[in-house]
Amino acid sequence: MTAVAAPNKRENKRRNNRRLRRKLWQYKGIYLMILPVFMYFAIFTFYPLGLGLVQSFQKVRLIGAATFIGIENYDKVLGDPIFRMSFINSVVVGTVSLFINLAIAMVLTVSVNEVRHKPGKSLIQTVTFLPYLFSWTVVGGMWLLILSHNGMVNEFLVKLGLERMMFFTSPAWGRPVILFTNAWKQAGYFTVLLLASVVSIDPIIYEAARIDGASRMRQVRYIIIPQVWPTIKTLLVLGATGVLRNFDQVLIMNRPATKDSIRTLLLYIYEEGITKMKIGTATAAATVVMATTLIITVVVRRLAKYEQDASY
Amino acid sequence: MKAAIFDRPEKVSKSFRNQMTLWQRGANWLLLLIVFLVMMLPLVNVLAISLSNNMGSQVADVTLWPREFSTEGYTFIWSARNLARAFTNSSVVAVLGTLITTSICAMAGYVLIQRDLPFRRGIATAILVTMMIPGDLTLVSIFSLNKALGLIDSYAGLVLNGLVSGFSIMLIRNYFLSVPESLAESGRIDNASELRIFLAIYIPLALPGLAAITFLEFIGKWNSFMIPLIITNKPELYTLPIILRQLTQPTDSTSGVDYIYPNARMAAIVITITPLILLYSVAQRFLIGGLTLGAAKG
Repeated sequence: MTAVAAPNKRENKRRNNRRLRRKLWQYKGIYLMILPVFMYFAIFTFYPLGLGLVQSFQKVRLIGAATFIGIENYDKVLGDPIFRMSFINSVVVGTVSLFINLAIAMVLTVSVNEVRHKPGKSLIQTVTFLPYLFSWTVVGGMWLLILSHNGMVNEFLVKLGLERMMFFTSPAWGRPVILFTNAWKQAGYFTVLLLASVVSIDPIIYEAARIDGASRMRQVRYIIIPQVWPTIKTLLVLGATGVLRNFDQVLIMNRPATKDSIRTLLLYIYEEGITKMKIGTATAAATVVMATTLIITVVVRRLAKYEQDASY
Repeated sequence: MKAAIFDRPEKVSKSFRNQMTLWQRGANWLLLLIVFLVMMLPLVNVLAISLSNNMGSQVADVTLWPREFSTEGYTFIWSARNLARAFTNSSVVAVLGTLITTSICAMAGYVLIQRDLPFRRGIATAILVTMMIPGDLTLVSIFSLNKALGLIDSYAGLVLNGLVSGFSIMLIRNYFLSVPESLAESGRIDNASELRIFLAIYIPLALPGLAAITFLEFIGKWNSFMIPLIITNKPELYTLPIILRQLTQPTDSTSGVDYIYPNARMAAIVITITPLILLYSVAQRFLIGGLTLGAAKG
């Protein structure tokens, strides 16, 4: 068809346009199927994003129009010692937590993988994974009681003849409690994902290693760990996006004594924007955090040489 | 991909049997025993306290068995404190939301596998971008938006927020990709509409995927905390996480009048997690399959 008429460019373009339009029409049903998704994202994702960005440069009043005030909100936020503290808390607790959880999951994966007793194996997987399905209101609520002054842990310590620990009344315990409960809830999830990549190892590889006289420990080091490494990288990249997003856990588990050592950025934004109704500073803080998250994501992706599935 | 994590082919286990020394195996079992206790004892403690009577639940001790067995904590929290209402709210919002979300995401996933669709890449990119945006950071603007739309203190608000998830779309898309395209082609030759091809060919063949996103969405909605926290003020609309948060805050800060015994507080926790445990025991395979595939495709 193209060989018959080799007309000028404009003619070609028009034909392409017509073809595209026909195709769009042909696929109208398909586009209709994705319409709800677009409406949702436009209203509930992109609009709030834009609104937040605009309001971060405004003085928002409860009554009357908002006025443009430049970077004043950003000045205020960046100069606020509580914001800075929240920033440090989020970065430190988020990063340490991610690495602790991954390390525990690594150990558990290797360990569970050695178990040949099937019921035992599935039991340990179930109990470690189960808390991942619970909300922080559940897990936080449980540990608030268990670690309380008369809770199970302290009563156990007393039985052993030890001192009670002030998990919620001493600031020094703030972060360790957050890190521990986080690992308790999340490490099992990582373990399940890592185990899934371990079981896909071809048994012939073990067989070959065994014939070569490699001990089990060496097999773990040179077969299992390299095999799960890509999954670990994925979890690291996915986890990095979440580092600055801890909210539920600290909102529920903070106590007056520990609040300052664990207040995260999201809790700060919530307190500013929802509790104190300071929309300008809250949205400015959110924008700063958003930008930081973006930077962290890009850097971690680079470092991990992580390629997103390009098949879309 | 539905890697059977819980069982391994017999051949494999034989091939590396007895390779660890006895000492190593013992150490391994000890480690796992400790992990098991750390995971299990808190849950046992919560259950035991919830089944103790008012006085028994206050005894300061390592409680691993109900003290003065009683269900008064459950009856108190369920009727006197009206946890029943929150349970109903959570169920309605989670079930309704899950049904809508699953349908919308499944349709969107189907759109993304149309190879010749103009702008398909652009659509996929837009969805991936929404997955990268940390949505919860915009909570202040989400609040403003809900206020402007009149969704504060409404069931509609609880259902609408979080109705579409990029993760679920991408997940179900991956399941659809494994459906042979020739089936869709033969449908088209028979002049079946796209909706019909979707409903009669793709949905039945991607049922495990559909189950995975259904269960994952349900769990997410059942546990949803931030949205009800910022958009509900009326106690009649409170969902379980909101009530739980109020219940589990240590009561010393409030004026002792409203004291709630630990058995009732722990009963509320047990009631909240029971549906999740049931769901897990029924749908473990789909949940794990979905999570594994989701992480693999990042």
